Amino acid sequence: MTDTEKIYQILKDLTDEDFSDKGDTNLFETGLLDSMATVQLLLEIQTELNVDVPVSEFERSEWATPNKIIAKVQTLK
Amino acid sequence: MVTNIITAINNIYRTMPEQAAYNYLGTTYSYRELTERSNALAQVLLRHNLPEQAPLIVYGGQQFEMLVAFLAAVKTGHAYIPVDSHSAKDRLLMIQDTAHAPLVIAIEPLPITLPKTNIITFDEIKALTPMTYLTGNHPVAGADTFYIIFTSGTTGKPKGVQISHDNLLSFVNWLLADFRWPHQPNVLAQAPFSFDLSVMGLYPTLVTGGTLQALPRAITEDFKQLFALLPQLQLNVWISTPSLVEICLLLKDFNAEHYPTLTHFLFCGEELSHKTAATLLTRFPDAHIYNTYGPTEATVAVTGVEITPTILEKYDRLPIGYVKEDTKISIKPIDHTEIGEILISGPSVSKGYLNLPAKTVAAFAEETDFPTYRSGDLGFFGPDNLLFYRGRMDFQIKFNGYRIELEEINFYLRQSSLIKQGVVVPRYNADHRVVQLIAVIVLNKQPSSTEKELTRSIKAELMDNIMPYMMPQRFVYRPELPLSANDKVDIKALIQEVNSQ
Repeated sequence: MTDTEKIYQILKDLTDEDFSDKGDTNLFETGLLDSMATVQLLLEIQTELNVDVPVSEFERSEWATPNKIIAKVQTLK
Repeated sequence: MVTNIITAINNIYRTMPEQAAYNYLGTTYSYRELTERSNALAQVLLRHNLPEQAPLIVYGGQQFEMLVAFLAAVKTGHAYIPVDSHSAKDRLLMIQDTAHAPLVIAIEPLPITLPKTNIITFDEIKALTPMTYLTGNHPVAGADTFYIIFTSGTTGKPKGVQISHDNLLSFVNWLLADFRWPHQPNVLAQAPFSFDLSVMGLYPTLVTGGTLQALPRAITEDFKQLFALLPQLQLNVWISTPSLVEICLLLKDFNAEHYPTLTHFLFCGEELSHKTAATLLTRFPDAHIYNTYGPTEATVAVTGVEITPTILEKYDRLPIGYVKEDTKISIKPIDHTEIGEILISGPSVSKGYLNLPAKTVAAFAEETDFPTYRSGDLGFFGPDNLLFYRGRMDFQIKFNGYRIELEEINFYLRQSSLIKQGVVVPRYNADHRVVQLIAVIVLNKQPSSTEKELTRSIKAELMDNIMPYMMPQRFVYRPELPLSANDKVDIKALIQEVNSQ
């Protein structure tokens, strides 16, 4: 699995919804991710993709859509 | 041992008036301010000549003045009803419908007007001159109701759980005796006051001269601010739902080295997972970590156990604890298994729901010296008298620590003109915790708008009636729903379906 596929899989496990053809959905505005789900998302990204997410610098706006998450993870690699 | 909550707080004021009682984002408030300002507000309440013992609504967030209002109410013999300012606007109306409060103390401006109700505003409280002594008042004592917390009800109407002074006293004395309560600790105050988890820190701290360290909601939702603030609080006692500590565990620095003063963790409100407890104990090897359990109807918590390495090794799903000494828990068997309904009897069990006699009779029994509360929770006693939790008998769930009757959300879904049938089902993770609420909906007629637009309209309708934490994260549209034998929507089948993938 590529990183992108892994991220879509994580999001699917979390929200029960497939975002692979709607990468620009705002996950926070639609209420799909609350703060607890966000924690789960970051945890999964840390373990599944082996990147360190600097949680203390977490800005929602930088993680708001699947595409933004994919881009962000690339910069952390 | 504490014998009277109000007197105990007064004693702290007398012996160390300048000790900090509350810290709100860097502003500290002393026991002098707490006592003298609540005396002043109590004086105003006395002048209103309110009906004796009538409950008062206190509306606001986590400001210090909320505490001032609580104490002013109980000092003049009135129970207080805390209502969080994040509530849906009709929630206040629904509560007032049941409570008939003659007066509201509005620490934040009310979102609606309440007919025939006196209002005391924040500005009026601010302008009061602090008073050293209060006379001519009759404080709440004994079996008088001290506070009333409104909780989700199945018919769409919230129920107000009445907690008496003696209920609270039993809880506070247990907490101080059985949890190695430190000397004048700094205690995390994160839960909103309308959630009874807040009581776990509030009164044990105030009767022992400790300091409550407020963590308002806006901060917990912004990780950046959260992690900037946390180290400054110099916490000794951490009280929260397991969810909040899981956020903090994301941060590598959340450990004994960076938080050397933090020695106690108390969890309540939802299931503490083995993984969370184990990780926390690795980060804080010398800390005392407690798991507790209890419904609002029995005053915050009635069982507790320290999660030690031995407990972690022995149990995959953690016990919820030993029953507090003055309380009796029995298991009413179901289907000849060891698991049954948890029945709670003791001095911290509530006298019932405010002005709802039928609902009170349905949930409480007066068989012994104390009322028995039928919790609807399933559990069993393991070896060594440890109690274990195993889910619910009905459709009540815990989501991020909040207690929700799914039927309450369903009730409001059905009010929508767009919806023919609608039920909300929880999705669980591997740790038996609810991670998402899904609304499964059959529409009245073929929609002319997209699903996205539909969801937005339905959400807008729901917003006025349900608490924000009850709002489903997902809306799924179906041509029909599975029905059970008596032609009702088969919620159990839907729950299974949602959780089988």
